[in-house]
Amino acid sequence: MRILVLLISLCFSITAFAQDYDFGKVSKEELLEKFNPLDSTANATYLYKNRRTYFQYNQGEGFEQITEVHERIKIYNQEGFDYATKQIRLYVSGNSKEEISGIKGYTYNLKGGKIEDFKLSKNGIFDSELSKYANQVKFTMPNIKPGSVIEYKYRILSPFISNVDEFILQHDIPIKKLEARFEAPEYFSFKINVKGYLSVAPVVETKRDKIIFQNKERNYGVQGTTFSTSNLDFDKKVDTYNLDNIPALKEESYVNNMDNYRSSVKYELSYTKFPNSNIEYYSTTWEDVVKRIYKSSDFGSELDKKGYYEDDIDALISSVSDPATRVAVIFNFVKSKIKWNGYHGYYTDKGVKKAYKEQVGNVADINLMLTSMLKYAGLNAYPVLVSTRRNGIPIFPTREGYNYVVSYVKLIDGVVLLDATSKYSEPNVLPYKVLNWQGRVISEHGGSTLIDLYPKQKSKNSIAMMATLSENGDIDGGCRSIKTNHRALTFRESYNDVNKDEYLEKLENEYNGIEIADYEVKNDLDLSKPIVESYKFVKESQADIIGDKIYFSPFFFLKTSESPFKLEKREFPVDFGYPSMTSYRIIINIPEGYKVESIPEPVAFMMPDNLGVFKYNISANGNKVQLLVDSEINESIISSIYYDALKAYFSQLVEKEAEQIVLTKA
Amino acid sequence: MYLKSILSILFLLITSTTFSQDNLLTSFTVPANLIKNANAIVRANDLQINLKSSSEMHVLEKRIVTVLNKEGDDAINAYVHYDNNVKIKDLEVIVYNAGGSQIKKIKKNDFKDVSAVDGGTLYSDSRVKYLEYTPIGYPYTIEFVCETVTSNTAFIQSFSPISDYFLSIENSTYQITFPSDITIRTKEKNFDNFELIKEEISGVIKYKVENIPAIKPEKYAPAFFDMAPKVLVVSNKFTLEGVQTQVENWNDFGKWMYHDLIKNTHDLPESTITMIKNLVKDEPSDIEKAKKIYKYVQDKTRYISVQVGIGGWKPFNASEVDKLGYGDCKALTNYTMSLLKAVGIKSNYTVVYAGDSQRSLEDDFAAMQGNHVILNIPTKNENIWLECTSQKLPFGFIGDFTDDRDVLVITPEGGIIKHTKKYNVEENIQTINGNYTVSNYGMLEADALIKSKGIQYDDKYWLETETERDLDTYYKERWRYINDISISSMDIKNNKQDIEFIEHIHFNATNYTKKIGNRMLLTINALNRNIHLPDRYRNRKFPLKVKRGFKDVDEFKVKLPSEYKIESLPKNASIENKYGSYNTQIISKDDNTLVYKREFIINDGEFTKEDYTAFRGFYKEVTKLDNAKIALIKK
Repeated sequence: MRILVLLISLCFSITAFAQDYDFGKVSKEELLEKFNPLDSTANATYLYKNRRTYFQYNQGEGFEQITEVHERIKIYNQEGFDYATKQIRLYVSGNSKEEISGIKGYTYNLKGGKIEDFKLSKNGIFDSELSKYANQVKFTMPNIKPGSVIEYKYRILSPFISNVDEFILQHDIPIKKLEARFEAPEYFSFKINVKGYLSVAPVVETKRDKIIFQNKERNYGVQGTTFSTSNLDFDKKVDTYNLDNIPALKEESYVNNMDNYRSSVKYELSYTKFPNSNIEYYSTTWEDVVKRIYKSSDFGSELDKKGYYEDDIDALISSVSDPATRVAVIFNFVKSKIKWNGYHGYYTDKGVKKAYKEQVGNVADINLMLTSMLKYAGLNAYPVLVSTRRNGIPIFPTREGYNYVVSYVKLIDGVVLLDATSKYSEPNVLPYKVLNWQGRVISEHGGSTLIDLYPKQKSKNSIAMMATLSENGDIDGGCRSIKTNHRALTFRESYNDVNKDEYLEKLENEYNGIEIADYEVKNDLDLSKPIVESYKFVKESQADIIGDKIYFSPFFFLKTSESPFKLEKREFPVDFGYPSMTSYRIIINIPEGYKVESIPEPVAFMMPDNLGVFKYNISANGNKVQLLVDSEINESIISSIYYDALKAYFSQLVEKEAEQIVLTKA
Repeated sequence: MYLKSILSILFLLITSTTFSQDNLLTSFTVPANLIKNANAIVRANDLQINLKSSSEMHVLEKRIVTVLNKEGDDAINAYVHYDNNVKIKDLEVIVYNAGGSQIKKIKKNDFKDVSAVDGGTLYSDSRVKYLEYTPIGYPYTIEFVCETVTSNTAFIQSFSPISDYFLSIENSTYQITFPSDITIRTKEKNFDNFELIKEEISGVIKYKVENIPAIKPEKYAPAFFDMAPKVLVVSNKFTLEGVQTQVENWNDFGKWMYHDLIKNTHDLPESTITMIKNLVKDEPSDIEKAKKIYKYVQDKTRYISVQVGIGGWKPFNASEVDKLGYGDCKALTNYTMSLLKAVGIKSNYTVVYAGDSQRSLEDDFAAMQGNHVILNIPTKNENIWLECTSQKLPFGFIGDFTDDRDVLVITPEGGIIKHTKKYNVEENIQTINGNYTVSNYGMLEADALIKSKGIQYDDKYWLETETERDLDTYYKERWRYINDISISSMDIKNNKQDIEFIEHIHFNATNYTKKIGNRMLLTINALNRNIHLPDRYRNRKFPLKVKRGFKDVDEFKVKLPSEYKIESLPKNASIENKYGSYNTQIISKDDNTLVYKREFIINDGEFTKEDYTAFRGFYKEVTKLDNAKIALIKK
């Protein structure tokens, strides 16, 4: 018996081993497979994914980048049908553009035990022009059914040698076998950046290659032209990757950007050194990256331009000497004068001068201008390269690592980060999308240091409520809340620009139809002060009346009704963006003729390492109940190793907030 | 002579409006009544359509819009679609500041030019040029001029002065000129509350509206297209991608579509015809045959949208779909139709407005309408409707995507307006048979068997293919009013034969009850609490409309904790009104066992705006009663 088992397992391993990945060699076993044995929830799986990127010399044109792709995908069910459609983006820059050729594809189905194949026809391939900077090729495979295997290959020819597309090593579906190869001639030096949870290291080899030049010589005096060839031998570095059974990357909530955790390899051109020419640097270290960015005419020299604003700034600061006030004055000036056009980037778009004149600019136009003005006003101001949450975390030195720039000022009593593109951003309260690990402060001449972008200061919401409970369970009263930092920023973004009636109606419905009167917001436009929101309310059915007793939660409608963390397990850190604190001071007048029979126990509990703290204090005095609660999250990011603790913490919090006060007839 | 004087008067009128536009360029002149609820104001919109022949149409649109805030930026609507048959002759925007001084001018080549493909489409040859403009201050005013010429005259832009919510109209005019050999038909819709000024002379029709304050959206209201005033316009002779026709009524229209666009696409290969005949040969009836064919199509094909030229209106050939295994709604419907035809079952290509809002085709206005195609199989007793783009829906089930609306059924003899299946209250039923136990520590252990039909089936059938992890989260969300819930088993079944979705769920929650001293509070409705409350409006403007009704029937057997006895029970509830009904009943089986019965019905229908408060009140009462608690006390 044991031998039989062994034999069977041997057979399995042999069939698995014998898989043929040549184009067109799709096996019956692949077609028969009903689900991925390693991940039965996968709707589709890359059976094979191969990419080779290399450089080819074309006489007269120089090196070109060539990428060959071959992919074989198993589709298990209808939810996997999307993988039968492929989209390929091709970059365009002026007269240069990437081109695709040799698209070939087949769908394989099993019918009555026989393999049927269906060719991807020309009229199933569509080219379209997406914009000035990109074309797109799309194709969809014919006759897709649950169980189909599709296979396609194509080739992309790119004139952009410094721009190698990321090698994506992990997808939203599993990959059974992945082979990738990157070949660079000795004239190119590429830096390799690996990210993600997989351990990935290439096998590195050096191989010989040669360029054959065709020479044409006109011979004067003698007849005709002679042709000859000459060879140039060179080394190339070949990196290969062989990976098996790569698990799917699955979406989780409260993750700043799933791509931060997706395994991939990025090749970034550091420098080129051609025979008989000088080294040309692209980037190697952060210093180089920063230097190159700084040296660019769309960055460093934009900082040096002053003429266009000198008069305005002189007038603005002539009577202001305090540095912090100067910062505030200039910051507000830029915010009110130049409007953000919605584009990111650390390079200026139309340039600071034009942006100033037209009063519109991209992120770099606005924040480089701001930095320049601050410097002009005698402040220690520097630009800070930032990567937005969407752009992911810049782990390795690349120019694409960053996509945004903000401004930084060093004052005697601390540092200030500024982003003038957001109307409601304050000093040290950057827009949420920018709160992403660290930024890089660029000093004069291109040196750089790191700065933490996650706020140190807690964003607070302090709520004070007075409520009178009636015998029928309705409550009425007043509520006042004070919001600071990001809580204030979020509030201003959702409140300031919308129709006020509409806002109120939404607010009332958010609290399930509370009725609000005397609604007032202070400091909505005065960013130097916290938001103060106050209103009177009436809310029905806030207590249960059972027999001669009244039961209610002292939080009433402010109660946290459910935990945001419902997943049983999670892989990735929870990213809140900023530390926060919510405090409640609630005073409740109980109905006449009743007395407090019982109140919940005061309690305090916390997450490990002081990541979160919840304090609940309650007391009853005559016909008044007073509740004091503080709820704090002390870190912007909480590692997944604390997930169980976090989940338990929120569950406990929801439960505590629901605990009841009991009143009985006096 | 008579004609001439009218013309000169007309000319005068036109010039005078043109000249008076200057003072519209400043924001200060917006009439006060148009500011309320508005994010933007259309100061003047002037649409001139010149139909030179049935295959040449010039469209000139001039628009002045004052934008009050960021939300109003989209109201400038500065974009234009074009393709091989639509040429843009002129396109320009001028921006003015609040005071009316020009601050920017954007010419045709500075517009962004992109492919007009939406997410669900693989390819379309349609493109769009749009304006990307960052306002430097509010309010501002734009002047938009766009002129196009096209050979497609099947669609003549209608006069739709209100294009969106939160948008006021100061002045909007429309004019169509046409040659004498063409007849223009029009239909004026939803003008009860608006004054429409109309002028008509030979070869020219003009419309005008003025001074329409902005409206804001409300839930449970009629859809925008059922409220917004509109004049539909169509030419009796028109051209579509080079195909010419003449249409006076739905009958003509249907004939044209059938004979020019559909008939010649039924070109199944012989082998497929033989195969399909063979496939259904043992089926006893046409319905059974059709079911088998529908299943065959669902297994063979998938939805992929490709729109090129006339292909935007004409289905792919059936042979194409047969070969490729994919197509858009037209192609897949047509393919199913040809397969049915091959076995002798008659079915009809049917044009519909798809979407949850039950938009009907204008039944008395024959023109290109609709945005989707389904299949109609007429039988002796009823019409069967098939959604051919879904691989999942059961035979004859169309759900809320195309239910309960007027559609155009195209037959070889002509077009007929029919009404699709309406799902009634009694059909949209969910029943829960539950059992739950509460321990002495307040822990809940529950078992629920849930069966859903009709629109309630439509709400859930997609769960069948969710992964276990996603289902787990889904059920935690569904019972989100229970804290710290842990699902121990999920068994779901999609019974396509009876169109019923069955869920069998087992879960527990640690602290379900609230323990206070020696008492325990238990919300008896553990498994189906209403948590939906319609929004409250301070000033409801629109009538109440409930598009679809439903019925929930629940019966739970409750085991109480052994160490407790009942101190008080909630009263049985019984509410009955025109919006629905609600009944609950608690029956004591023995000392520790209760049976809780609940029935909740919401009727569909149209009611007045005054009814809204009472309707909301009903929901509020149901929510309250669903939270009724039993007080238990230690024995």
